[in-house]
Amino acid sequence: MDLSLTIGGPQGGGIDTSSNMINRAFAEAGYNVFAVREYHSNIKGRHSYNHIRVKEERPRSLRYPVDILVALDADTLYEHMDDVVAGSKVIYDKSFESGDLSQARLIMRDTAKRIKERLQGENLPLNVNGVIQHMKNNGVITIAVPFDAVVNSAISGGTPTRYFNTLGSAITLSIAGLPVNFTSEAIKQVFASKPKVVEDNVKVVEAAYKYCEENKLSGVPLKSFPKKQRLLLTGNDAAAIGKVMGGLRFQTYYPITPASDESTVLEEHETLSLIENEKSSLEKAGVVVIQTEDEISAITMAMGAALTGTRSATATSGPGFSLMAEGISFAGMDEVPIVITLYQRGGPSTGLPTRNGQSDLLFALNTGHGEFPRIVLSSGDIEECAYDAMKALNYAQRYQLPVIHLIDKNLATTSDLIPEIDKSRVKLIPAVSVSDKEEFLRYNLNTETGISKVGYFGKNIFWMTGDEHDELGHVTEDPEVRDRQMQKRFQKLETAAHEIPLEDRVQVFGEKEADITFVTWGSQKGPILDVIDDLKKEGIKANMLYLKMFEPFPSEFVKSFLSRSKLVVDVESNILAQASRVIRLETGIEIENAILKYSGRHMTEDEILSAAKKIINKKEKFIVEVLTNGA
Amino acid sequence: MAHNFKNDVVIDWCPGCGDFGILTSITQALTEMNLGGEDVVAVSGIGCSGKTPHYLNIAGVHTLHGRAIPFATGVKLANPNLKVILPSGDGDLLSIGAGHFVAEGRRNTGLTIILFDNAVYGLTKGQAAPTMQLGEKTKSLARENIFGKVNPIALALSSGYSFVARGFSFDMKQLKGLIKMALNHKGSAVIDVLQPCPTYNDVNTMDWYRERVYRLEDEPSWDPVVTKDNADSAAMKFQQAYQKALEWGEKIPTGLFYQNKTIPSFTERLSQFVPNYLTNPPASQVVFNKDHYTVVDPEKTFSDKIIA
Repeated sequence: MDLSLTIGGPQGGGIDTSSNMINRAFAEAGYNVFAVREYHSNIKGRHSYNHIRVKEERPRSLRYPVDILVALDADTLYEHMDDVVAGSKVIYDKSFESGDLSQARLIMRDTAKRIKERLQGENLPLNVNGVIQHMKNNGVITIAVPFDAVVNSAISGGTPTRYFNTLGSAITLSIAGLPVNFTSEAIKQVFASKPKVVEDNVKVVEAAYKYCEENKLSGVPLKSFPKKQRLLLTGNDAAAIGKVMGGLRFQTYYPITPASDESTVLEEHETLSLIENEKSSLEKAGVVVIQTEDEISAITMAMGAALTGTRSATATSGPGFSLMAEGISFAGMDEVPIVITLYQRGGPSTGLPTRNGQSDLLFALNTGHGEFPRIVLSSGDIEECAYDAMKALNYAQRYQLPVIHLIDKNLATTSDLIPEIDKSRVKLIPAVSVSDKEEFLRYNLNTETGISKVGYFGKNIFWMTGDEHDELGHVTEDPEVRDRQMQKRFQKLETAAHEIPLEDRVQVFGEKEADITFVTWGSQKGPILDVIDDLKKEGIKANMLYLKMFEPFPSEFVKSFLSRSKLVVDVESNILAQASRVIRLETGIEIENAILKYSGRHMTEDEILSAAKKIINKKEKFIVEVLTNGA
Repeated sequence: MAHNFKNDVVIDWCPGCGDFGILTSITQALTEMNLGGEDVVAVSGIGCSGKTPHYLNIAGVHTLHGRAIPFATGVKLANPNLKVILPSGDGDLLSIGAGHFVAEGRRNTGLTIILFDNAVYGLTKGQAAPTMQLGEKTKSLARENIFGKVNPIALALSSGYSFVARGFSFDMKQLKGLIKMALNHKGSAVIDVLQPCPTYNDVNTMDWYRERVYRLEDEPSWDPVVTKDNADSAAMKFQQAYQKALEWGEKIPTGLFYQNKTIPSFTERLSQFVPNYLTNPPASQVVFNKDHYTVVDPEKTFSDKIIA
């Protein structure tokens, strides 16, 4: 099975809850889900949707067209009119049919204009009926359900609209052929602590299945699989889990989309359960999470905590990261072990606050004034978010510098089913430290690795300053000491490049000898893996150079790999092909082709595949394909 | 043996600078409190005042301009057993770092903020700081100051600081006493220290201050302390402090304006939610076992994410 679902409705209308029900119901039946959330920067009313892919094996990407589209409002029908094709099913409330496009005032003006032109071009009325007719003309199966009546058949009194999200999910699942018991179980999980809510929603589920049965909408029953324990995680969740496993005990943040969910997750789980045989007398420990007054405070407060020996971090997105620049420079100069998890969204400025972007790579590599060493690593799927978060904390301790962990919005808010969290995959690396009360030189120049021993506030006396400093940490402007301290700091980067395993910096997937080589980083990893399989079916050999660490950059490997590749295509969610620029800077190799997307939406399997085929088939060089999927 | 809080780093402040009196008051206070060298941390911002940590024989960090408060808050929250002092300037705390100054009042973390108040930015050659009077013309200014003045005492009170005081850098006896009281106060303290900048501020000189300052504690009826036994007097004492804060000109009050011991500190507030926070704070936690694996059980900790 390979099912693509979209459920859309007004922001604040329970779309996320719907998706959660669908995810959990399929998970109950032993399937795997990959669920992407798209929403406006808005509290109530504007169009939001979840795009879900369900498979027996683990899905790694989204694809269009959509097999089942559920519209909890008329806007969803307008926004997704071309996401469905012959054979797709569209479910909506019968009452939407009276809707006129001019009433859909929360659709972005230009989107509405485009919809209008589309309908006019086909001589269709500018209303929901026009959209339905458009779909029908394309062979789509449209199903109008009397939402109110179905809810009322289950629940007497109350507000029917409150149950529309459950109803939509249940109808979808019924049409997909998922047996009702899995759906009811999912409801129990979603509303776990509220028995009355569970009861009412289960009634709605049963009514929805009954309605589908009576109207011959129910799908062919899906087989189910033995259920295994898994974790349903977003990238935000995974990074939070990785952080506490990596020893994080102090996190700061200022509210910002899509980063602050990570901190909220940490706050919700501030009580840490310790492993039975490891506890001394304690069963619980705590992680301190502080909402600061701004991101300047977030970075500097986390640094203050780090100086006591506490593993500390902050999480932010573009605008907040900009504010952290001066603090990150201090961390570089003063060798403060600090992790900044940078959730990239569409920039510049406020940009697309709730949408995806990968436009902060060059900024992350250059944030802060002056020259200082840093480590910049990137995650490309939900599991990597967890393990990389652990590694990031390790790097900060080992090399005593700022570590920037790049995660894109596509990963932050996408839900994936993870088989397990492997506690022994990443060992925690401690800092090289002095003993309590020992007198020492914090910036001791007598080191081959560039790493000087650290002490901690509360245990040792030592000094730090953002000024250039002598070995004791006092201000100096002595030219010789300046040179030696600069060299010492950068020596750490050499050490890191030498010590960090290559597979943590760059990986290759796919065929050894390939007709086409994709170069990418971040959330395109999943869709490209799917595209490699698709191309294989068509007899085209493909592989992927997947970049995980941009500083220290694995220059030698990348250079030798790319110089052996035939046709290289850079795939990124930005307009400048930023990773290409890094590669050119670090290796001198110019990647001539690119598949780029900067609309803020997910790159989907189908669009990368078709762009790749265009590039393969065209004989000229310097091809840039710009992708546009997604409402 | 008592710890020597003086450091052997050469001090490069100008002769006659008020900073010397503050530095001496800090070392005397720490000595008299019989603290160990590892018990106290100094966190400063940028400017002449920012150099203070280097002149103290305790752990110290000379941070970024305006950011002493969040840095120090991180230190204190990760290790609540530490005493944290912030020798920082008026421009640092009340201009570039004003947002943090207000936020810290809301937190009441337990910091001792020593505000070096000389009304000028000394290290950058005497520009007007936020505590300079409107219309004041010091010799370093091209024209008179056209900004109004922020009132540090009134701002500290309004921000929620539970200990608000003013000292004078040439009254080290009083200042030392205020610093000791502040260090023993569990919430956050602000001590606004009036001081001359002999190089750039030729208006608010040592003599100018000497003629005006008087000690609040010399008034026998002055009682600015709110305890749980007289908690109903908090509003009255706050008003009285605010009124004193507005006094400026011919007579300038120094001493303790307001202390409220009933406001829970931020670390106390956190300890209600974070298990074993005060006994096993972040800085004391062991995060990996002998084989270097995590001690956190992710599945128990994040059990709500499990589908089983």
